[in-house]
Amino acid sequence: MLIITRRPGEKVMLGDDVVIEVIEVSGSSVRIGIDAPRSVPVYREELWRAVKDENEAAAKAKADLPQDLPVKQ
Amino acid sequence: MTTETITLESTRFGTLEIPHEAVVEFPNGLIGLGGRRYALLARSEDATFVWLHSLEDPDLALPLTNPWRFFTTFEVELADDEAERIGVEGIDDTAVYVTVRAGEELEDFSANLRAPILIAQGAGHQVINQAPDAPVRAPLFAENAPEVAA
Repeated sequence: MLIITRRPGEKVMLGDDVVIEVIEVSGSSVRIGIDAPRSVPVYREELWRAVKDENEAAAKAKADLPQDLPVKQ
Repeated sequence: MTTETITLESTRFGTLEIPHEAVVEFPNGLIGLGGRRYALLARSEDATFVWLHSLEDPDLALPLTNPWRFFTTFEVELADDEAERIGVEGIDDTAVYVTVRAGEELEDFSANLRAPILIAQGAGHQVINQAPDAPVRAPLFAENAPEVAA
């Protein structure tokens, strides 16, 4: 992993299109700004991971799912 | 009018000929799973579960369901930048699905209400639902689940 030190107001470029700026450091929190092309989705990692886990779990389903289930009211 | 089909190879369902209309392109893939080309497969019009099946990986398929079938108060709320990214104005012409985690027992089945899949005009996007009360694991059959009728 690349580790670099930045101060508030300083930026990091990912390629030519993605800019990450350190906005503010306060105690153990860091506010960052991300400027990315509209086509690039940006997620908080923990949510991305939770969704990835659910997608992977869903993809383990077997072909014979129950059919014609009564619907919960 | 010719009805051209394309061939889908599936480890679950064998070799299927599917109509072009069933193909859904995901420009960003599914979150954490990738894949760009999928097909939506259903046994019948009113099937409880439909399959989002990869056209690139015969192993990769996820069961989906219509969230309102199980969660009548379900709502999708998109952040402005995400709505802009996927170019969805309203959801009138958009089909909404949620992924299903299957379990041994019906009580173990859950749906991911936090990351629904929106499909419109052959394009699909898995989005983050900003609505409150949209858990990643919402039980489909809370209590007194009926027997599995496979």
